[in-house]
Amino acid sequence: MEEKEFLLSVLRKEQKNKRYISEDALKRISKKTDIPISRIYGAATFYSMLHEQKQAKNIIYVCDGPSCHVNNSKNITAYLKKKLNKSRKFSLHTASCIGCCDEAPAMLLNGNAYTKLTKEKIDEIIKKCKS
Amino acid sequence: MKIKIDGREIECEKNKTILDICDENSIEIPKLCLIEDLKPEARCRLCIVEMNGKLATSCSIYPNEGCNILTDSQKVIKARKINMELLMAGHIRNCAVNGESNELCRLLDKLKIERIRFEPIRKYKQDLSESVIRDDNKCINCGKCIRACGEIMEVYAIDFAGKGHNEHVSPYSGHRLHDVACIKCGQCIAACPVGAIYEREHLYEVIKALKNKKKHVVVQTAPAIRAAIGEEFNMPAGSLVTGKMVAALRRCGFDRIFDTPLGADMTIMEEASEFLERVKKNGLFPMITTCCPSWIKFMEHFEHELIPNMSTCKSPHEMLGILTKTYYAEKSGINKKDIVVVSVMPCVAKKFESTRPELKSAVDYAITTREAAKIIRYFKIDFRNLPGEDFDNPLGIATGAGVMFGASGGVMEAALRTAYEFAANKPLKKLEFNQIRGMEGIKEGSIALNGKKINYAVAHGGKNIRRLLERKDKYHFIEMMACPGGCIGGGGQPLPLTKEILQKRMNAIYEEDSRLPIRKSHENPIVRTIYKEYLEHPLSKKAEKILHTRYYKRSEF
Amino acid sequence: MQILRKTELKAFKKAKRLGASGIIKILKQKGLVGRGGAAFPTGTKWEFALNTKANEKFVICNADEGEPGTFKDKFIIKYNPEALVEGILIAAYTIKARQAFIYLRGEYSYLENHLKRVVSKVLRKAKSSLKIGIIVGAGAYVCGEETAVIESIEGFRGQPYYKPPYPPTQGLYGEPTIINNVETFANVPQAILFNDWDKELRLYSLSGNLTNPGIYELPVGYSLAELIGLGKPKNKIKAVYFGCFGGCIPYSDIKLTPENVCGKNCAVGAFTIIAVDEKQSILDIAENIAKFYEHESCGKCTPCREGTKRICDIIRKIKSGKAGKDDLADLKELAENIQETSLCGLGQTATNHLLTALQYFKKEFEERIK
Repeated sequence: MEEKEFLLSVLRKEQKNKRYISEDALKRISKKTDIPISRIYGAATFYSMLHEQKQAKNIIYVCDGPSCHVNNSKNITAYLKKKLNKSRKFSLHTASCIGCCDEAPAMLLNGNAYTKLTKEKIDEIIKKCKS
Repeated sequence: MKIKIDGREIECEKNKTILDICDENSIEIPKLCLIEDLKPEARCRLCIVEMNGKLATSCSIYPNEGCNILTDSQKVIKARKINMELLMAGHIRNCAVNGESNELCRLLDKLKIERIRFEPIRKYKQDLSESVIRDDNKCINCGKCIRACGEIMEVYAIDFAGKGHNEHVSPYSGHRLHDVACIKCGQCIAACPVGAIYEREHLYEVIKALKNKKKHVVVQTAPAIRAAIGEEFNMPAGSLVTGKMVAALRRCGFDRIFDTPLGADMTIMEEASEFLERVKKNGLFPMITTCCPSWIKFMEHFEHELIPNMSTCKSPHEMLGILTKTYYAEKSGINKKDIVVVSVMPCVAKKFESTRPELKSAVDYAITTREAAKIIRYFKIDFRNLPGEDFDNPLGIATGAGVMFGASGGVMEAALRTAYEFAANKPLKKLEFNQIRGMEGIKEGSIALNGKKINYAVAHGGKNIRRLLERKDKYHFIEMMACPGGCIGGGGQPLPLTKEILQKRMNAIYEEDSRLPIRKSHENPIVRTIYKEYLEHPLSKKAEKILHTRYYKRSEF
Repeated sequence: MQILRKTELKAFKKAKRLGASGIIKILKQKGLVGRGGAAFPTGTKWEFALNTKANEKFVICNADEGEPGTFKDKFIIKYNPEALVEGILIAAYTIKARQAFIYLRGEYSYLENHLKRVVSKVLRKAKSSLKIGIIVGAGAYVCGEETAVIESIEGFRGQPYYKPPYPPTQGLYGEPTIINNVETFANVPQAILFNDWDKELRLYSLSGNLTNPGIYELPVGYSLAELIGLGKPKNKIKAVYFGCFGGCIPYSDIKLTPENVCGKNCAVGAFTIIAVDEKQSILDIAENIAKFYEHESCGKCTPCREGTKRICDIIRKIKSGKAGKDDLADLKELAENIQETSLCGLGQTATNHLLTALQYFKKEFEERIK
């Protein structure tokens, strides 16, 4: 079986391309795969990285795992929230441990890991992203 | 092999789960998420027992030789109590207020829970519609409705969505059941142990009409009711209570009590004639029955290329309804605007059916068996001790053929009795078609009509409907019933719907058929009169106008 | 590091010479056990799959490393992925599987292309017809559970189902399936090829309030105090969490063997150590971890679905100072119920952190009780 035949892969691709799993996408995928639409919706709403609402061009998952937590991830999260509060270019989410524990605190931005975060580093990353 | 349960040595078979073995030995174990005949999912965690010191769910474990099982140790009782508390924490408890009784609240009494430490949180909107209402705030995520819709009916209208505490039952994208491909069979209602899904009730409207002296309220009862309504009054499953049912409704204040099987006889007249026309023209086969509105919706969503195959006959209660408001109104001189037709149906889809615009339904309210029982209880009628009474004239005589509509295979048998005699012009030697009776999922047979071999088949339950459709071209005539068992297993019938109970109700239906003096639709004197005085002959212009309807293509979503 | 030794398909060649039963024999002899946390003997697992008759068999590499504090599989994927792929090849050869999957967690999607390249390179070199598909997850800790991986690959919600039957007898699409962790597969070719392969060496994931966190390859039974020393903490270390699922203990010089750790009511699992210094509040960490489990609970079974949320509520109540003695008793009772009656490993370990915190750091909870 080709990778594209796996529902999870199909949903991930849809999330990447259209930035969310729309109702139309559900219907389209159901027609193509013969999987009942209720089941596709069930799978799409199960995973944290698949979204029902359209996401901004840039998605941030800031880690809230215990290693990051004891390394002040709360401050990082609060700073990001304040900085990106009115931004339409960034969608901010908190995530469970993303596996960068030895370089805490960390976040994922558009799928890439940014670690050992400080306020300054965040400023730089966001600036680079916007340009 | 031998195992030990609560200190007792028990002899048991190898391929049985601990729960099955306990059931067989009358050891009670609470369970909530288990469905008959389907693989257990072990979701609810109430059937916990202690096995070799550890807690485990009895529904999913096949014990080994010499296993030591405890079903009521301190550990087990504590675990069950806490899980029960947690289940109640997901269930908004206004059942006591409404006087509803459901499996969960009954278990609460059984397990002697003194306090529930966790408050439920109301966070979902109710899903309202004409037939099936869902209240996610009462849902305990047992998954039975989803499995009924999926594994039993193969409709898959609903599934779980969300994760963890936010897991809830949903069609998709926040839609109401009404707006998606739900066939309104009500099997989800039958499966739900907590009353989170229920039919949209019309009790208030019916009682209001009964109390309105200006209205002439007519009630008609489907054949499946007489084999099941007794269960709502603690009579054994499959008690045939036709006479008491009529007496009870009369005492509720209904002005006339008519018999839906008479409508079924009319359906047979029209449908058998329709079929013979097709046979003559070597026309489109298979022809498929249309008295089940759930099947019709199923076809419209998923198999709409079958629309030309369908019979155009309305369902029996609609036929009787329209005859009440035309033929009966004229004959009795009552203004049809003052007539209120109430149908007591085993079916939840009939509620939806009566809202179909092209049908211009003559039925004002379709209520379920359970609702009818509630009305009878409302008027404080002692059902069990009623004498047997008869239906009212002029629409109160029915044949055994009409009554058989309640069971899967009954419509086909009734149609064949009439079609054969119409075509051959001589009586059938044997009236019973045993090969299409019973709980088997797909039943078939063949018969010679005017020298031509006619293959017929019958399916009930969504899964079997789909299987039969895969080979539909082998047959000339097909009966489809959405609910397993046929109407006796309908979503509006008294619960629970187990195979055992359905078989008993089926037996009652066939017993009624064998008891009735007239057993063929075309021999019903009232049917003859209606055609003579009013409709001329089957498939006449007038008959086409009031007794036939049409169907539409619907989205598969 | 032993884990970084290159085997360059020599182990695969040797495995083909040994044949299926030979491979299983050598794995059992060498004492390779699973490194995903359950430590099940790998040879025995593969033997179950081999002995189950079926037309189609599968191999799944569980790269859904989601246990907080664990990042050793990432290390292997980055620095010795060839060993991982060779391990999968050997497993597939043993049970005659024609298709294998690597279920890579969504948060490691930046490693996907790198892994894809390595997979095609190794398969080409081995001239193998095995198909290895990389399925990237989408953010669900519960998909680290082997039955949840199967459900997820099959296109369903990633909810575990009860065992038995176990995946080696009935797994993906109902067929016999070998599911092993990344580190386990990476060790397979090394165990087969190298006579001096040391079965006691593990990859410790060390993180927390340390200036020198990272992956340390050390034997089972290493001293906790020495391990923390390697991590060079700035402040005094108060407690150590074995991931979230393994529970916590106060800092001590305990030798990190499964038996010793078990004796403290914890589980050493995949050797994840999160060091927490005295500036941290155990109550705070308890809330953080409770929130984690509430979010990651799949929702299938009652105790975990409802219980993890109520645990969170009570902990918040304690933090806010509004909780009484009853709440503390309720908390313990609820935590024990979730542990004893949940359907899968997530629920069964979801409250270890809390029960051990209540056991060893009770004061931090009690001082907030009115």
